[in-house]
Amino acid sequence: MAAITEAVPVRPARPPRSIRSAALTTVLVLPASLWYIILLVLPLAIVVVMSFGLQGNHGSYAPGFTLDNYGSAFERLTPFTTSLWLSLAGTILCLLAALPIAYFIATRAGRRKSLFIVLLVVPFWTSFLIRTYAWLTILGPDGLGGFIGDSIGDPGFRILGTPAAVLLGVVYGYLPLMIFPIYVTLERMDRTLVEASKDLGAGRWSTFRQITLPIILPGLLTGSILVFIPLMGEYVIPAILGYGRVFLIGNQLVLQFLESRNWPEGAARAVVLILIMLVSVIFYLWFANRGRKTRDVSVI
Amino acid sequence: MTDQDLDQVIRRMAQTPLSRRGFMYAGGLSAAAAFLAACSSGGSSSPSAAATTSAAPTSAASEAPTASAAPSVAAVVVEKELFMYNWGDYVDPTNMKAFQQEFGVEKFTYDTFASNDEMMAKFQGGATGQWDISAPTANFVPAMRDQGFIQKLDLPHIPNAALIDDTFKKQWWDPTDEWQLPKDWGTTGITVRTKFVKEEVKTWKAFFEVAPKYTGRIVIVDSPDDVFVAPLKALGYSLNSVDPTELGQARELLLALAPHVLALDSDQYNTKIETGEAVLGLTWTGGILELRDKPATADVEYLIPDDGTVFWMDTWVVLADAPHPNAANAFLNFILEPHHQALETMTNQYASCSSAAKEFIDPKVTSDPALYVPADVQAKLEGQKDNSGSKLRASIYEEFKSKIGQA
Amino acid sequence: MSASAGPAVASGHPTVAGTADAKRLPKPRGERFGGLVEGWLRGHTLLIYLFLYIPIIVVVIFSFNATNRRVTDWQGFSLKWYASVLSDKVVQSALTNSFIVATSTAIISTVFGTMAALGLQRAPKWFQRPFEALTFVSIIVPEIVIALATLVFFSSSFDVINPIFGLKLKLGFPTIIAAHALFNISLVMLLVRARLSGMDRTHVEASYDLYGTPWRTFWQITFPQLLPAVVAGFLLSFTFSFDDYVITTFVSGAGSTTLPLYIFSTIRKGVTPATNAVAALMLLITLTILIVGQLVVARNARRASGRGAGVAQMITEQSA
Repeated sequence: MAAITEAVPVRPARPPRSIRSAALTTVLVLPASLWYIILLVLPLAIVVVMSFGLQGNHGSYAPGFTLDNYGSAFERLTPFTTSLWLSLAGTILCLLAALPIAYFIATRAGRRKSLFIVLLVVPFWTSFLIRTYAWLTILGPDGLGGFIGDSIGDPGFRILGTPAAVLLGVVYGYLPLMIFPIYVTLERMDRTLVEASKDLGAGRWSTFRQITLPIILPGLLTGSILVFIPLMGEYVIPAILGYGRVFLIGNQLVLQFLESRNWPEGAARAVVLILIMLVSVIFYLWFANRGRKTRDVSVI
Repeated sequence: MTDQDLDQVIRRMAQTPLSRRGFMYAGGLSAAAAFLAACSSGGSSSPSAAATTSAAPTSAASEAPTASAAPSVAAVVVEKELFMYNWGDYVDPTNMKAFQQEFGVEKFTYDTFASNDEMMAKFQGGATGQWDISAPTANFVPAMRDQGFIQKLDLPHIPNAALIDDTFKKQWWDPTDEWQLPKDWGTTGITVRTKFVKEEVKTWKAFFEVAPKYTGRIVIVDSPDDVFVAPLKALGYSLNSVDPTELGQARELLLALAPHVLALDSDQYNTKIETGEAVLGLTWTGGILELRDKPATADVEYLIPDDGTVFWMDTWVVLADAPHPNAANAFLNFILEPHHQALETMTNQYASCSSAAKEFIDPKVTSDPALYVPADVQAKLEGQKDNSGSKLRASIYEEFKSKIGQA
Repeated sequence: MSASAGPAVASGHPTVAGTADAKRLPKPRGERFGGLVEGWLRGHTLLIYLFLYIPIIVVVIFSFNATNRRVTDWQGFSLKWYASVLSDKVVQSALTNSFIVATSTAIISTVFGTMAALGLQRAPKWFQRPFEALTFVSIIVPEIVIALATLVFFSSSFDVINPIFGLKLKLGFPTIIAAHALFNISLVMLLVRARLSGMDRTHVEASYDLYGTPWRTFWQITFPQLLPAVVAGFLLSFTFSFDDYVITTFVSGAGSTTLPLYIFSTIRKGVTPATNAVAALMLLITLTILIVGQLVVARNARRASGRGAGVAQMITEQSA
């Protein structure tokens, strides 16, 4: 008996695999969760309560219960569809503009990657208004708009106040939001896989579809969400560069909360918007990710 | 008695309820303090006069004593801070510095809002008790008063309030003049590039008639109240009308105008006028008057339509629960002094509400009919009421705004 | 055709040596249009940077405009607006406030957002789904709505909490930072999660097998892999917060006016070259910090490469 136990070698103590799972997970998600509860859920609860209320004497909110606001929220839907078109166009343009530059920085910039990345956002540390007004000068009658108008002999020609100007301003403002997510996924890609694929005879498109695309897909999805969604609420750029000729849901909401001071109706409209968008995003992600096997593996 | 002792005595007295003896004591002390202050601060007002083009510098020094509290009023200790919540760039920096120097206010915090609506929404959302003074447009004053955002003025401590012209008193927004002090006033009118617009556009009616001819070259301020002025006055109604029939007719006019409008723009309309992108406008005077002085745009005209228009007034109010009420009163009294008012007018390009300031202002400015409206034209001006409760107006405006530039 | 591709393919699997060069993508073989693609990539990138910087150049140029009012009306060269800005207390305080708020927000958001992304991967599905939904909602909510609602929330809460606890909470920097952080935490979380997707535990396991502690494993294996996403998140958070107008307007208190608030409020009076001068100064400061930062990093890199490569370093190089 004793001989057997002595013969069995004693294994050295194994290193710890990880800290107790649940505790670590809780600690990690706790701060963000608190933020969501206190600064998102509670204020939104206020919005929902407001949406059933009445307009006060001087505007704002008065307690009450009515469904009228939701009725009105579904009227005058044109701004919503206009916003949809703008967001769609803006997202696609951003995508087209962002992909090559994200690819370039991830693969060609070498050690100066971080410099390239930071240089992308430095322009945005000057005030938004100043930048947009600079575009007014550049595209206006004293700038490009006038130049083109004179060249083609049309005194009434205008770049500003057209959807083109709005889209330019939108792409200008939202481009980093598309570049960064694509860049962070692209940068992680092991390029030897691409190389190997090509060496094994796969064409460029096959390689892209089977190697590159699955890796950068999360970046593409994140980028498109980060651009499309805030774009739906955008109203300042169209007001300035579009001369206010495009009336979007952002304009509508601001009008209701500030000038009309009809908080309950604005709140109802906002709730409807949020629900529609949330459902759309969930559907969009489900659709894009179907067939993809995503395993959530903890990396700590 | 050193200054410090005096200070401490006054502080202690400010905290204890005044008995009659205490009042006499305070009165005597404050008289002494006022006398001392007058002697030492005589020179501090002059820097503000230097900036005005033709103000008489010598009279400035003699004005200083009136700024200090009159001997019969209990001495107040002006706090070391003043928090103002105002439109951007709406108080001349020289005046700000002079005020700080004169009253020893070390910190003058100037926070800003971009529109009355924003300010209102902020107060309604609960951001009260933070600032001392604000300068809303007059038609917002009743709503602010009803909702408890402002407090009654401490007029005994603002003797210069007497310098306000009577024409600006007893208005509908403050019949007893206890809640606000006029800051400046202006009009909304028609701006025309006469070089490009050959017709005479002297009325709102003409404005609407001429508009289709200049389609795509008309700029309008993005302000519901101002936009309604044009159709309602053109039809001969009150610009504050909430009558459905009248508003219905106004709506027709507005919707007919909408396709011809280049832009709804409250901030860059003067630029559009200057470049000629817009040749006709429904605007305020901001930025327009300077264009007349420039050779390239000397043809710019701002006129007050014959069928009448609105006059608006920005007013000083003291906010409820103001943390520094004494500093607030001191500032209001200070800013209402004629030569300070003159500087404000020159800087802000809006007319002061106090005629006493006129003698310190460049005659070219005081004789400008766009700024200093002659009496016969003044009769055609109608004050702006608070029409935010009218859902009909709100929906018409939204409709108008959404149809800008649409064929 | 290219040296580094050879051994990798010949041996059938990527070697450590091969991947060291993988940072520089070898020219794709059999590419007849290789040169064209390269040229197009470069050209496009240059165009985008030009596009981003043209308005900035215009802004800087007009900051030297000697005009008295309107920015674009060129009246000659002058430094007076820089002088005016450097002596204008209101602008300076706005600028300082913006910096304080943006830096704080960026730090908080980056830390909490990264933590959340890491933790979410370990969380059960019943937690993940609602949490993700909230993340999206925080981005979906239009700014004016969340701004007003947050203001109402803060003021109502303060009205209740202050008397009970004898506190004097009020609107100010903390409220602005908190409100900004909401959107930014989600932003960072999404970025890090995109980076995490598809990552596996191979290197982590390797580190544990080599008796690494969880703490060291995280800092030397996982974190370097996440770094680009973390840095991107920090930069975007700072930018968003620095430039924010709507939310800041509503939840700011006395004395917490930020630069965007100040600028927006002056547009009625006309944007003067002073604001351009502020923007130009901002650029100067940030570009200086960048250049200095780059020099410092380059110097440290040179120093670090002299140290013996640890196992961790070898592992990270494999995957970076």
